[in-house]
Amino acid sequence: MQASALDGVGAASAKPRTVLRLLLLPLVIFAGMGLSVEAGLLGPLGVQVGHLWATLSIFGVGSAILFLLLLFSGRQKGPALTDLPRWQLIGGFLGPMYVVVLTLATPHIGIAMTMIAILSGQVGKSVLIDHFGWFGTARKRVNAERWIALALIMVALVLIARG
Amino acid sequence: MNLILLLVLVVAAGAVLSVQAAINGRLGQTVGVLRSSLLTFVVGAISTGLLILFFEPTHTVSLLDVPKWQLTGALFGVVYMMVMVGAVPIVGTAVATVAVIVGQLGMGMLIDNFGWLGNPAIELSGSRIVAMLCLALALVFMYRSSTRTD
Repeated sequence: MQASALDGVGAASAKPRTVLRLLLLPLVIFAGMGLSVEAGLLGPLGVQVGHLWATLSIFGVGSAILFLLLLFSGRQKGPALTDLPRWQLIGGFLGPMYVVVLTLATPHIGIAMTMIAILSGQVGKSVLIDHFGWFGTARKRVNAERWIALALIMVALVLIARG
Repeated sequence: MNLILLLVLVVAAGAVLSVQAAINGRLGQTVGVLRSSLLTFVVGAISTGLLILFFEPTHTVSLLDVPKWQLTGALFGVVYMMVMVGAVPIVGTAVATVAVIVGQLGMGMLIDNFGWLGNPAIELSGSRIVAMLCLALALVFMYRSSTRTD
Protein backbone atom coordinates (compact mmCIF):
# COMPACT_ATOMS: atom_id res chain seq x y z
CA MET A 1 0.00 0.00 0.00
CA GLN A 2 2.36 2.67 -1.28
CA ALA A 3 1.62 6.34 -1.86
CA SER A 4 1.87 5.73 -5.61
CA ALA A 5 -1.05 3.28 -5.41
CA LEU A 6 -3.19 6.03 -3.89
CA ASP A 7 -2.27 8.65 -6.49
CA GLY A 8 -4.46 7.11 -9.19
CA VAL A 9 -7.53 7.10 -6.94
CA GLY A 10 -8.58 10.69 -7.57
CA ALA A 11 -8.48 10.26 -11.36
CA ALA A 12 -10.30 6.90 -11.35
CA SER A 13 -13.98 6.76 -12.36
CA ALA A 14 -16.76 5.87 -9.88
CA LYS A 15 -16.87 2.15 -10.62
CA PRO A 16 -13.23 1.12 -10.02
CA ARG A 17 -13.35 3.30 -6.90
CA THR A 18 -16.25 1.24 -5.55
CA VAL A 19 -14.34 -1.97 -6.30
CA LEU A 20 -11.31 -0.53 -4.51
CA ARG A 21 -13.47 0.29 -1.48
CA LEU A 22 -14.87 -3.24 -1.31
CA LEU A 23 -11.37 -4.67 -1.62
CA LEU A 24 -10.13 -2.38 1.16
CA LEU A 25 -12.85 -3.32 3.66
CA PRO A 26 -11.60 -6.89 4.43
CA LEU A 27 -8.10 -5.43 4.78
CA VAL A 28 -9.33 -2.88 7.34
CA ILE A 29 -11.25 -5.62 9.22
CA PHE A 30 -8.03 -7.66 9.27
CA ALA A 31 -6.17 -4.64 10.66
CA GLY A 32 -8.80 -4.39 13.39
CA MET A 33 -8.24 -8.05 14.30
CA GLY A 34 -4.56 -7.18 14.72
CA LEU A 35 -5.50 -4.45 17.19
CA SER A 36 -7.22 -7.00 19.45
CA VAL A 37 -4.17 -9.26 19.28
CA GLU A 38 -2.04 -6.25 20.18
CA ALA A 39 -4.31 -5.44 23.14
CA GLY A 40 -4.22 -9.10 24.21
CA LEU A 41 -0.42 -9.01 24.17
CA LEU A 42 -0.17 -5.60 25.87
CA GLY A 43 -2.29 -6.35 28.97
CA PRO A 44 -0.15 -9.19 30.38
CA LEU A 45 3.08 -7.48 29.21
CA GLY A 46 2.17 -4.21 30.97
CA VAL A 47 1.52 -6.06 34.24
CA GLN A 48 4.98 -7.70 34.04
CA VAL A 49 7.27 -4.85 32.92
CA GLY A 50 5.14 -1.70 33.50
CA HIS A 51 2.61 0.10 31.29
CA LEU A 52 5.00 2.66 29.82
CA TRP A 53 7.67 0.06 29.02
CA ALA A 54 5.03 -2.05 27.26
CA THR A 55 4.01 1.06 25.29
CA LEU A 56 7.64 1.77 24.42
CA SER A 57 8.04 -1.79 23.08
CA ILE A 58 5.20 -1.05 20.63
CA PHE A 59 6.52 2.29 19.40
CA GLY A 60 10.19 1.33 19.56
CA VAL A 61 9.84 -1.86 17.51
CA GLY A 62 7.35 -0.12 15.21
CA SER A 63 9.75 2.78 14.57
CA ALA A 64 12.62 0.39 13.80
CA ILE A 65 10.55 -1.64 11.30
CA LEU A 66 9.17 1.44 9.56
CA PHE A 67 12.60 3.08 9.40
CA LEU A 68 14.01 -0.01 7.65
CA LEU A 69 11.02 -0.16 5.28
CA LEU A 70 11.48 3.52 4.43
CA LEU A 71 15.25 3.13 3.99
CA PHE A 72 14.83 0.36 1.41
CA SER A 73 11.83 1.80 -0.43
CA GLY A 74 13.76 4.65 -2.05
CA ARG A 75 12.88 8.31 -2.50
CA GLN A 76 9.43 9.32 -1.26
CA LYS A 77 7.10 11.63 -3.17
CA GLY A 78 5.54 14.73 -1.66
CA PRO A 79 6.82 17.58 0.52
CA ALA A 80 9.28 17.19 3.40
CA LEU A 81 7.72 16.61 6.84
CA THR A 82 9.16 19.95 7.99
CA ASP A 83 7.19 21.79 5.28
CA LEU A 84 3.82 20.57 6.57
CA PRO A 85 1.40 22.45 8.87
CA ARG A 86 2.39 21.73 12.50
CA TRP A 87 -1.01 20.37 13.53
CA GLN A 88 -0.71 17.50 11.04
CA LEU A 89 2.24 16.18 13.04
CA ILE A 90 0.42 15.76 16.38
CA GLY A 91 -0.94 12.31 15.45
CA GLY A 92 2.20 10.83 17.02
CA PHE A 93 1.32 12.18 20.46
CA LEU A 94 -2.17 10.66 20.32
CA GLY A 95 -1.00 7.07 19.73
CA PRO A 96 0.82 6.63 23.09
CA MET A 97 -2.25 7.96 24.95
CA TYR A 98 -4.32 5.12 23.52
CA VAL A 99 -1.70 2.43 24.18
CA VAL A 100 -0.97 3.58 27.75
CA VAL A 101 -4.69 3.70 28.61
CA LEU A 102 -5.09 0.22 27.08
CA THR A 103 -2.39 -1.37 29.25
CA LEU A 104 -3.57 0.63 32.27
CA ALA A 105 -7.26 -0.26 32.01
CA THR A 106 -7.43 -3.95 31.02
CA PRO A 107 -6.17 -5.37 34.34
CA HIS A 108 -8.69 -3.22 36.28
CA ILE A 109 -11.92 -3.34 34.21
CA GLY A 110 -11.24 -6.34 31.91
CA ILE A 111 -10.79 -6.57 28.12
CA ALA A 112 -14.55 -6.60 27.31
CA MET A 113 -15.28 -3.39 29.26
CA THR A 114 -12.17 -1.70 27.85
CA MET A 115 -13.19 -2.55 24.29
CA ILE A 116 -16.75 -1.30 24.84
CA ALA A 117 -15.54 2.03 26.21
CA ILE A 118 -12.94 2.42 23.43
CA LEU A 119 -15.56 1.64 20.80
CA SER A 120 -18.14 4.14 22.04
CA GLY A 121 -15.47 6.84 21.98
CA GLN A 122 -14.31 5.81 18.50
CA VAL A 123 -17.74 5.64 16.88
CA GLY A 124 -19.09 8.84 18.43
CA LYS A 125 -16.00 10.80 17.51
CA SER A 126 -15.60 9.41 13.98
CA VAL A 127 -19.20 10.28 13.08
CA LEU A 128 -18.56 13.81 14.37
CA ILE A 129 -15.35 14.07 12.30
CA ASP A 130 -17.19 12.98 9.13
CA HIS A 131 -20.18 15.22 9.89
CA PHE A 132 -18.18 18.41 10.41
CA GLY A 133 -15.17 17.53 8.21
CA TRP A 134 -12.69 18.18 11.05
CA PHE A 135 -8.93 17.81 10.49
CA GLY A 136 -9.26 18.37 6.74
CA THR A 137 -11.23 15.19 5.94
CA ALA A 138 -14.10 15.18 3.43
CA ARG A 139 -17.35 16.38 5.00
CA LYS A 140 -20.17 13.80 5.07
CA ARG A 141 -23.63 14.58 6.41
CA VAL A 142 -24.96 12.24 9.10
CA ASN A 143 -28.01 10.84 7.28
CA ALA A 144 -30.69 8.37 8.42
CA GLU A 145 -28.63 5.30 7.51
CA ARG A 146 -25.78 6.53 9.66
CA TRP A 147 -28.06 7.07 12.64
CA ILE A 148 -29.43 3.51 12.20
CA ALA A 149 -25.83 2.28 12.15
CA LEU A 150 -25.07 4.21 15.36
CA ALA A 151 -28.20 2.75 17.01
CA LEU A 152 -27.11 -0.79 16.00
CA ILE A 153 -23.67 -0.16 17.50
CA MET A 154 -25.28 1.01 20.74
CA VAL A 155 -27.41 -2.17 20.85
CA ALA A 156 -24.27 -4.24 20.29
CA LEU A 157 -22.41 -2.41 23.06
CA VAL A 158 -25.27 -2.93 25.55
CA LEU A 159 -25.50 -6.63 24.59
CA ILE A 160 -21.79 -7.17 25.19
CA ALA A 161 -21.82 -5.19 28.43
CA ARG A 162 -24.67 -7.36 29.77
CA GLY A 163 -23.60 -10.70 28.25
CA MET B 1 -8.00 3.67 40.72
CA ASN B 2 -11.53 5.08 40.51
CA LEU B 3 -13.55 2.84 38.14
CA ILE B 4 -15.70 5.61 36.62
CA LEU B 5 -12.63 7.77 36.04
CA LEU B 6 -10.91 4.86 34.32
CA LEU B 7 -13.95 4.26 32.07
CA VAL B 8 -14.09 7.95 31.07
CA LEU B 9 -10.36 7.75 30.33
CA VAL B 10 -10.87 4.73 28.05
CA VAL B 11 -13.77 6.39 26.18
CA ALA B 12 -11.53 9.42 25.65
CA ALA B 13 -8.77 7.11 24.37
CA GLY B 14 -11.22 5.70 21.81
CA ALA B 15 -12.11 9.23 20.67
CA VAL B 16 -8.40 10.11 20.47
CA LEU B 17 -7.82 7.02 18.32
CA SER B 18 -10.30 8.18 15.67
CA VAL B 19 -8.85 11.71 15.75
CA GLN B 20 -5.47 10.14 15.06
CA ALA B 21 -6.89 8.10 12.18
CA ALA B 22 -8.30 11.26 10.59
CA ILE B 23 -5.07 13.26 10.99
CA ASN B 24 -2.88 10.42 9.70
CA GLY B 25 -5.17 9.77 6.73
CA ARG B 26 -4.66 13.38 5.66
CA LEU B 27 -0.92 13.29 6.36
CA GLY B 28 -0.49 10.01 4.44
CA GLN B 29 -2.11 11.57 1.38
CA THR B 30 0.52 14.31 1.20
CA VAL B 31 3.77 12.62 2.32
CA GLY B 32 3.01 8.91 1.75
CA VAL B 33 2.01 6.01 4.00
CA LEU B 34 5.53 5.07 5.14
CA ARG B 35 6.68 8.52 6.18
CA SER B 36 3.47 9.41 8.04
CA SER B 37 3.55 6.06 9.89
CA LEU B 38 7.23 6.45 10.77
CA LEU B 39 6.56 9.96 12.08
CA THR B 40 3.73 8.65 14.27
CA PHE B 41 5.82 5.81 15.70
CA VAL B 42 8.99 7.88 16.26
CA VAL B 43 7.08 10.67 18.01
CA GLY B 44 5.25 7.98 20.01
CA ALA B 45 8.51 6.28 21.02
CA ILE B 46 10.19 9.57 22.00
CA SER B 47 7.26 10.84 24.07
CA THR B 48 6.87 7.45 25.79
CA GLY B 49 10.64 7.40 26.47
CA LEU B 50 10.39 10.82 28.12
CA LEU B 51 7.48 9.65 30.27
CA ILE B 52 9.48 6.56 31.34
CA LEU B 53 12.51 8.66 32.32
CA PHE B 54 10.47 10.90 34.60
CA PHE B 55 7.48 8.88 35.80
CA GLU B 56 7.96 5.11 35.50
CA PRO B 57 8.72 3.22 38.75
CA THR B 58 11.40 0.48 38.53
CA HIS B 59 10.29 -3.08 37.81
CA THR B 60 12.08 -6.33 38.57
CA VAL B 61 11.19 -7.72 35.13
CA SER B 62 12.39 -5.84 32.01
CA LEU B 63 11.37 -6.09 28.35
CA LEU B 64 14.48 -8.23 27.74
CA ASP B 65 13.32 -10.88 30.25
CA VAL B 66 9.85 -11.63 28.86
CA PRO B 67 9.24 -14.27 26.12
CA LYS B 68 9.93 -12.75 22.68
CA TRP B 69 6.41 -13.40 21.35
CA GLN B 70 5.10 -10.89 23.88
CA LEU B 71 7.02 -8.17 22.02
CA THR B 72 5.37 -8.80 18.62
CA GLY B 73 2.46 -6.41 19.31
CA ALA B 74 4.20 -3.70 17.27
CA LEU B 75 3.96 -5.80 14.10
CA PHE B 76 0.16 -5.64 14.36
CA GLY B 77 0.36 -1.94 15.17
CA VAL B 78 2.45 -1.20 12.06
CA VAL B 79 0.08 -3.18 9.82
CA TYR B 80 -2.92 -1.38 11.37
CA MET B 81 -1.34 2.04 10.95
CA MET B 82 -0.43 1.49 7.30
CA VAL B 83 -3.82 0.02 6.39
CA MET B 84 -5.63 2.94 8.08
CA VAL B 85 -3.46 5.60 6.46
CA GLY B 86 -4.13 4.01 3.09
CA ALA B 87 -7.83 3.26 3.58
CA VAL B 88 -9.25 6.28 5.46
CA PRO B 89 -9.03 8.74 2.51
CA ILE B 90 -10.84 6.22 0.28
CA VAL B 91 -13.55 4.70 2.50
CA GLY B 92 -13.98 7.55 5.05
CA THR B 93 -13.25 7.70 8.78
CA ALA B 94 -16.58 6.26 9.95
CA VAL B 95 -16.61 3.24 7.60
CA ALA B 96 -12.97 2.48 8.35
CA THR B 97 -13.66 2.75 12.08
CA VAL B 98 -16.63 0.37 11.96
CA ALA B 99 -14.65 -2.13 9.84
CA VAL B 100 -11.88 -2.00 12.45
CA ILE B 101 -14.49 -2.55 15.17
CA VAL B 102 -15.83 -5.67 13.44
CA GLY B 103 -12.32 -7.13 13.20
CA GLN B 104 -11.44 -5.99 16.70
CA LEU B 105 -14.51 -7.45 18.40
CA GLY B 106 -14.46 -10.66 16.33
CA MET B 107 -10.84 -11.32 17.25
CA GLY B 108 -11.44 -10.06 20.81
CA MET B 109 -14.18 -12.64 21.26
CA LEU B 110 -11.91 -15.39 19.92
CA ILE B 111 -9.12 -14.37 22.33
CA ASP B 112 -11.63 -14.16 25.20
CA ASN B 113 -13.28 -17.49 24.34
CA PHE B 114 -10.05 -19.48 24.16
CA GLY B 115 -8.06 -17.39 26.64
CA TRP B 116 -5.27 -16.87 24.11
CA LEU B 117 -2.07 -14.89 24.83
CA GLY B 118 -2.29 -15.43 28.59
CA ASN B 119 -5.64 -13.67 29.06
CA PRO B 120 -8.47 -15.07 31.25
CA ALA B 121 -11.04 -17.08 29.23
CA ILE B 122 -14.59 -15.65 28.79
CA GLU B 123 -17.02 -17.99 27.00
CA LEU B 124 -18.78 -16.94 23.77
CA SER B 125 -22.46 -16.35 24.62
CA GLY B 126 -25.61 -15.89 22.50
CA SER B 127 -25.76 -12.16 23.21
CA ARG B 128 -22.13 -11.76 22.08
CA ILE B 129 -22.98 -13.39 18.72
CA VAL B 130 -26.07 -11.15 18.29
CA ALA B 131 -23.88 -8.13 19.12
CA MET B 132 -21.44 -9.17 16.40
CA LEU B 133 -24.31 -9.42 13.86
CA CYS B 134 -25.51 -5.92 14.87
CA LEU B 135 -22.02 -4.53 14.23
CA ALA B 136 -21.82 -6.25 10.83
CA LEU B 137 -25.20 -4.70 9.94
CA ALA B 138 -24.00 -1.30 11.17
CA LEU B 139 -20.99 -1.61 8.83
CA VAL B 140 -23.34 -2.23 5.88
CA PHE B 141 -25.39 0.91 6.77
CA MET B 142 -22.25 3.03 7.21
CA TYR B 143 -20.87 1.81 3.90
CA ARG B 144 -24.13 2.51 2.02
CA SER B 145 -24.52 5.99 3.49
CA SER B 146 -20.95 6.96 2.57
CA THR B 147 -21.15 5.72 -1.03
CA ARG B 148 -24.47 7.52 -1.60
CA THR B 149 -23.41 10.98 -0.37
CA ASP B 150 -20.22 11.06 -2.51
